[in-house]
Amino acid sequence: MTPQTLGNSPILRTVCRFAVPLTVLVSLKIFWQGHNLPGGGFIAGAMAAAAGAMYLMAFGAAKASRIAWWKFSVVGLLCSLTTGTVPLLMGKAYMDHTFLNFHLPLLGHQHIPTAVFFDLGVFLIVLGTLMTIFVELGLEER
Amino acid sequence: MTDMTQLLPWIVLTPFAGAALLLLVGRWLAGRSGLVMAATAVASFSMAAWMFASTQGSLAPFLNWAWMPELNIAFALHGDPFGLFFTLLVSGIGLLISIYSMAYVTPMEPGRMGRYYATLTAFMAAMIGIALADDLMLLFVFWEITSITSFLLIGYWYEQEGAKKGALTALQVTALGGLVMMVGFILIGQVAGTFSLHVLYTEPQRLEALTHSPLFTAAMVLVLLGAMTKSAQFPFQFWLPGAMVAPTPVSAYLHAATMVKAGIFLMGRMLPVFGENPWWSPILISIGLLTFFLGAYQAFLQTDLKAILARTTVSTLGLITLIYGLHEAGQDALQILNHAAYKGSLFLVAGIVEHATHTRDLRKLGGLRKAMPITFILCLLAAISMSGLPPFFGYLAKETLYDGLLTNEILSQWPAVQKFTIAVSVLTNAFVFAVGLKLVFGIFLGRKPDDLEHVHDATPGLWIPTGVLAAMTLILGLLPGVTSGLVSGFSSEEHTHLHLALIPHHAGPAILSLVTITLGVILYNLQNIIERAHKLIALLPTAQSVWDKLLGATNSLATAYSSRWQSGSLSWYLSGCLAFLVGLVVLALWRGGVNPEHIRTSLSEMPWYGLVLCVLLSIASIAIVRARTRLEAAILSTAIGFTVSTLFVVYRSPDILLTQILIETVSTIFVLLILIFMPAFKKRDPISTLRKGWHLAVSIAVGGVVTLLLLLSMSPQFRETANLGAGYLQRSPAQGGGANAVNVIIVDIRATDTNGEITVLVVVGLCVYGLLRARRPHDRSEMHRADS
Repeated sequence: MTPQTLGNSPILRTVCRFAVPLTVLVSLKIFWQGHNLPGGGFIAGAMAAAAGAMYLMAFGAAKASRIAWWKFSVVGLLCSLTTGTVPLLMGKAYMDHTFLNFHLPLLGHQHIPTAVFFDLGVFLIVLGTLMTIFVELGLEER
Repeated sequence: MTDMTQLLPWIVLTPFAGAALLLLVGRWLAGRSGLVMAATAVASFSMAAWMFASTQGSLAPFLNWAWMPELNIAFALHGDPFGLFFTLLVSGIGLLISIYSMAYVTPMEPGRMGRYYATLTAFMAAMIGIALADDLMLLFVFWEITSITSFLLIGYWYEQEGAKKGALTALQVTALGGLVMMVGFILIGQVAGTFSLHVLYTEPQRLEALTHSPLFTAAMVLVLLGAMTKSAQFPFQFWLPGAMVAPTPVSAYLHAATMVKAGIFLMGRMLPVFGENPWWSPILISIGLLTFFLGAYQAFLQTDLKAILARTTVSTLGLITLIYGLHEAGQDALQILNHAAYKGSLFLVAGIVEHATHTRDLRKLGGLRKAMPITFILCLLAAISMSGLPPFFGYLAKETLYDGLLTNEILSQWPAVQKFTIAVSVLTNAFVFAVGLKLVFGIFLGRKPDDLEHVHDATPGLWIPTGVLAAMTLILGLLPGVTSGLVSGFSSEEHTHLHLALIPHHAGPAILSLVTITLGVILYNLQNIIERAHKLIALLPTAQSVWDKLLGATNSLATAYSSRWQSGSLSWYLSGCLAFLVGLVVLALWRGGVNPEHIRTSLSEMPWYGLVLCVLLSIASIAIVRARTRLEAAILSTAIGFTVSTLFVVYRSPDILLTQILIETVSTIFVLLILIFMPAFKKRDPISTLRKGWHLAVSIAVGGVVTLLLLLSMSPQFRETANLGAGYLQRSPAQGGGANAVNVIIVDIRATDTNGEITVLVVVGLCVYGLLRARRPHDRSEMHRADS
């Protein structure tokens, strides 16, 4: 696997058509269960990036670079910092998390710790940064 | 008085608000941004004037907002007469400069015009802040803002090398001085227990604590260094002429009328605090006198208009330093106002002349009297005031100086010093007089060069502000009674009563004035001889060259140091970090005391498949060292990683297992992507035995220490005393609302750590993006497009 051969394998391409969406779904599941079972934003982000890397190998760096991955990192950082700052504005300690309780139609009562938003930021940052590095290295020419 | 206290912060904050507004809308306002600056200047000026008028004779308004109470630092402002005087000076001249600037500064891109006025307004705000700050730390903050804005304004034409160098030198000198001054402030705060000037003045026991402290002199010297760098006192005077590459309105405002006076303003503020120190007078008198003389002497030898004015400014600043050294603080406001009026107008005249003729060189100017009559008259007024002739303001200032020198109590203790000081002062003023002649004759009289045929006089936008200042030099001189009251009330010394008069009270000052004028005329006529004599002195190293050498030496030291330690070799970095880590752990273990009994060597808890994994790990580790290609090494390192992850199955920790597997996957992809760019292993490259030995030693040490740590952590004693896991397991469902303790630690219990880590991650990602994109030429244009 070198940058020159990225995106040249039909077998890999066929496999990835299934494997990439599946891996992304699993990573989302892992993200969501993170608070109580093995998982969380960091691992899920790494897994999603692995899916992205598969895509990159199968279809080439140019296609993978159509998404501005660095924006994921920046949005993620904003998300995490905002989650930390809101309690500060409400007169509590920085990064003091709480729970959100609300009802959703069909899904019923929801009990969500605000830490989830922080974790979402971590997810986006890990995904965005790893993919930025992968894509930029993949775009390099010898 | 409460309403006055409420008014106090707005004098400072209004211009800051104006600067912020200009940063937002300056691009659209472009050249009209000056109106915003003018409006804030008028606002601050009128508020300060109203405050001065309504608080005369009563206690000065004092405002104290809590800022950092733990550190004893407050947002405290104090509207005393000297501070208000400085505020009026800064905002008044600020108004004139904003009008002048709109007529002077050639229209450029709108963005740059907006930034110019925003910076200038922020500078004005910070100067007012210095004037009114009561808290020394607050004063320091404003002080640094003026250094930075000055840097930006000097570098206005940043395409030019000279502008960059001048801006950088000014910033280096003043910022360095500012930091030194801050240390002095901290010493005062530590010893006296307060940063408040107001408290230092009014509570004698605080001052006494400071006076009796061994740090008294150290604090004084540090604070004075800050003041002297800012006010361009010897030997720091060299940055000021270099700063003259700025647009002329900036030079007039920052480097003649206001910013360079911040240093002497601080001396005035510090006189009641440090005045009793036995070193105060010797330091300030000698440095002040030397700067006073050198400035005027060097000014006389220059031919560039702004260089002449810059040197005479240095000279006057030296004079005011001298005054503080002599404890003659009563005349500080007089000298400051006098200088601001005549030097401000001379700078603006220089700007007008340059604007019209595109040169500042006296050798290329001459005979402009008929072409520029208004400018000629204004220049004449200012130059006469500078030369100290009656009935101008400069005359009153010079008479007061001579009077002070003749009657000064400190000087009269040493008659020889007194005679020397008076002699040097007379000689210096004679040089200043000669400079005045040189300016008027050089620009406006004599033969007119041919290329100056089509020169026109200034537009009203240029000459009105100049005229206001020039008129002040005459009006204040003609009304000595009014002026006496004004400058006495404004002076930093309370209960000052200066008696200014056009007809001298005593013979002494009048005789000295006559000598000065005669000497000045003689010096002007001896110009050629003095210039020739100067060529001999010019062989001595200048302060600028010494400074450049100092900077050069610092740079080469830093380069030598970094090329030794930052060699760029990854194996050197890695082995260095690991050796340091081993050292730390060994130190900790040695201090804590390791009990060999605690080390468990039994493997009975390990199931058989665990042992198999360990054997696999060892084989892979040995193989990786013997790998012949990078690909081989990469595959083996991945194998090690996955085997280690499998070990977590043995120890039943799915969370770490999952993490480890994913990290291994991701890093394998990473290694594969960069492998192509790596050079092949060079087996035949001779690696020195010393380096091999070092690598071996570090490897063995790391392996040994980590093994020891792991064995120790398995021991029951260690588990009891440092059982972190159980605590987290208990806390995480209760506080974090999650059963997965690892994740709750990451996102909740230690979220601030994570915060730092993810920020680093984002920065790394953006750096990789930027570095790799910048290397690729066709992508660079895309990045530009994305920017705009």
